[in-house]
Amino acid sequence: MIEDAELAEPPSHGDAGIVAENVTRSFGTVWAVRGMSLVVPYGRVTALVGPNGAGKTTLMLMLATLLSPTAGRLRIAGVDPAEDPVAVRRVTGWMPDTLGMYDQLRVREYLDFFADAHRLSKADRVRAVPSLLATVRLAEYAEAPVHVLSRGQKQRLALARALIHQPRVLLLDEPASGLDPRSRVELRDLLRRLAADGVAVLVSSHILSELAEMADRAVFVSAGQVVASRELSELAAIGAGHQVGWRIRARDPQALQTVLAERGLTGGTLTPAGLELPPMTEDEASDLLAAVVGAGVRVLAFGPVGSPLESAYLALTEEGR
Amino acid sequence: MNASLRGIRLVAAHEFRMRLRTGRWKWLLGGFTLTMLAFTWILHAALDSSRGSYYNGVTIVRDHSSIGPQMFGVLMLFVLGLMLIISPALTSQSVNGDRERGTLATLQVTLLSPADIAIGKLLAGWSVGLVALGLSVPFVVWSLIEGGVGVLSALVTLAVVALLIGVICALAQALSALTSRSISSGMLSYVVTAALALGTVIVYFMALSLTAEQRTARVGADYLSEGTLHHPEDVWWLLAPNPFVVLADAAPALPPLRADNGAFVERSDDPLGSLRRTVRDATRPEDVVTCYNSGYTELDPPGSVPSCRDPFVEPPPVWPWGLGFDVLLGVGAVTVTIRRLRTPATRLGRGVRVA
Ligand SMILES: Nc1ncnc2c1ncn2[C@@H]1O[C@H](COP(=O)(O)OP(=O)(O)OP(=O)(O)O)[C@@H](O)[C@H]1O
Ligand SMILES: [Mg+2]
Repeated sequence: MIEDAELAEPPSHGDAGIVAENVTRSFGTVWAVRGMSLVVPYGRVTALVGPNGAGKTTLMLMLATLLSPTAGRLRIAGVDPAEDPVAVRRVTGWMPDTLGMYDQLRVREYLDFFADAHRLSKADRVRAVPSLLATVRLAEYAEAPVHVLSRGQKQRLALARALIHQPRVLLLDEPASGLDPRSRVELRDLLRRLAADGVAVLVSSHILSELAEMADRAVFVSAGQVVASRELSELAAIGAGHQVGWRIRARDPQALQTVLAERGLTGGTLTPAGLELPPMTEDEASDLLAAVVGAGVRVLAFGPVGSPLESAYLALTEEGR
Repeated sequence: MNASLRGIRLVAAHEFRMRLRTGRWKWLLGGFTLTMLAFTWILHAALDSSRGSYYNGVTIVRDHSSIGPQMFGVLMLFVLGLMLIISPALTSQSVNGDRERGTLATLQVTLLSPADIAIGKLLAGWSVGLVALGLSVPFVVWSLIEGGVGVLSALVTLAVVALLIGVICALAQALSALTSRSISSGMLSYVVTAALALGTVIVYFMALSLTAEQRTARVGADYLSEGTLHHPEDVWWLLAPNPFVVLADAAPALPPLRADNGAFVERSDDPLGSLRRTVRDATRPEDVVTCYNSGYTELDPPGSVPSCRDPFVEPPPVWPWGLGFDVLLGVGAVTVTIRRLRTPATRLGRGVRVA
């Protein structure tokens, strides 16, 4: 009995929200996705990051049952979308990066229509729609026509649409691009809450500082391939060995410039946040700091430009460009 | 397919609601009604003034024979013509327009099936056409009041127009599913409609001229005539899908007129009937038709006597073929649309992005 239980332990990720194995997709001669393999576990927020044209949206479309892979295998909630797309749609919520909406409808009608399209009963819709509108802070716009909503409000409505049928797998393609700071914080909290409820969340974004706060894991893609999958906690280490930009701010910028010039570092960009220095490794950076301080310059701030995720991103997607 | 009544109704109601809210329909229907009003008014006036009147020595006697059949026939052909102009626009952007706006994909990831989406959208477009058709009913009733045409005739004719609107809508929708740009499908759907309404006629006459054959015929007892004989019976089917032909042929025949001596005379006041006779005559060999036109005709080889049919026994109708073909075309179009809406999509049209 006990042996059986041990044998039943899944060898791979049979219980993950999304499993992609060697997934490939071409459009004519363009290979948008070439052999991506990744796992998006339940209960976690996974970030999908990569440069423009890396194939993030194409992957999301395949996961959302809209596109079929040219090759490779997908399983969403254990089901292959090629075999049973309807079963996948039942449990998957998708928010596209385009904001196509029915402008003629009112906000409430819009959500109600999609709830109906997901076969929610009248009673369920009456309950779910207002509560979801409250969740995305659009309750006061319930009777407003969709076309009067701002970009960020439309984005929040699109998020509500993706959540209307309480999906167990959530695909968000650049959900934060038009959101104000407060809405971003709310999005982060919402995603964390959903993950805590066991939803598998895959979110793509270019705003890395945000992802750093909302994601548990990051999958780096470049030129149609997965170049790395990391826990966010591991990321600091990836950036370390690579050259990243550094920023330094001193009481007396003139004195700082002089010392830097002595070390051959001329022409850094001066920003309000400080002087941006060319890329260097952590070791080189700490040597530089010691030298500057040693020369008597009073340094106010010194650190890498961007978050660990950003550093890792730049390091990992370098080769693919 | 797995279309569900629930899904179709949901999509149709949703699409219809949005069409109502864009407000363009007010202009469409308003323009339609005004056009109908103006046309019917002028038609009625023209027919009314052409009624004969004569002076019998005491007073001017007006000929009170009915202008109903003529008014009804011309009106129905006009309604069909207008609907052929309106209908393509109702659905020619229904798929690629939604794709351009980015709303199609959001629909496709719900539990609505491709058939729900295709049929629901078609019904919404079609019903706008039916509303327009409904607005023409008062004018048709006016022509019925003029007398001479039965209510059944009117109902059958309107039903045929309604069906043809659906066919055109289905074709336009399929084009919108096949092309990536809504401008292309908009134009193509008018090309297809014109092909049905005008192209069939042109092709028919071109094909007819190809069937020409030189024949010697003996007219009367000893008069020999050299002539060209066509074989419309080989090419009549080219004309059958033409919407105007279907309409005229499907409209129930009016009772024949009798002359004073009791003989039947051809009605000249019935445009639908004339069109019907022309088309049905095309289904039988020309030589037989001429039997009653030019007395007696004997064709090569000399000595063979063609069997003359009674000219008032009409050949079998062609509309079941024509309408059947058109409806099949519509059903085929819906199937194409459904196939193009199927997801996950393996192939995309050139330049199409799903989202
Ligand atoms: N329908 C299509 N037809 C042709 N090429 C396509 C199509 N869709 C995507 N591509 C190409 O595939 C590649 C990947 O596109 P994709 O939209 O997946 O990138 P992305 O990672 O989402 O980029 P971004 O960060 O800019 O959103 C691009 O080179 C794109 O031009
Ligand atoms: Mg994208």
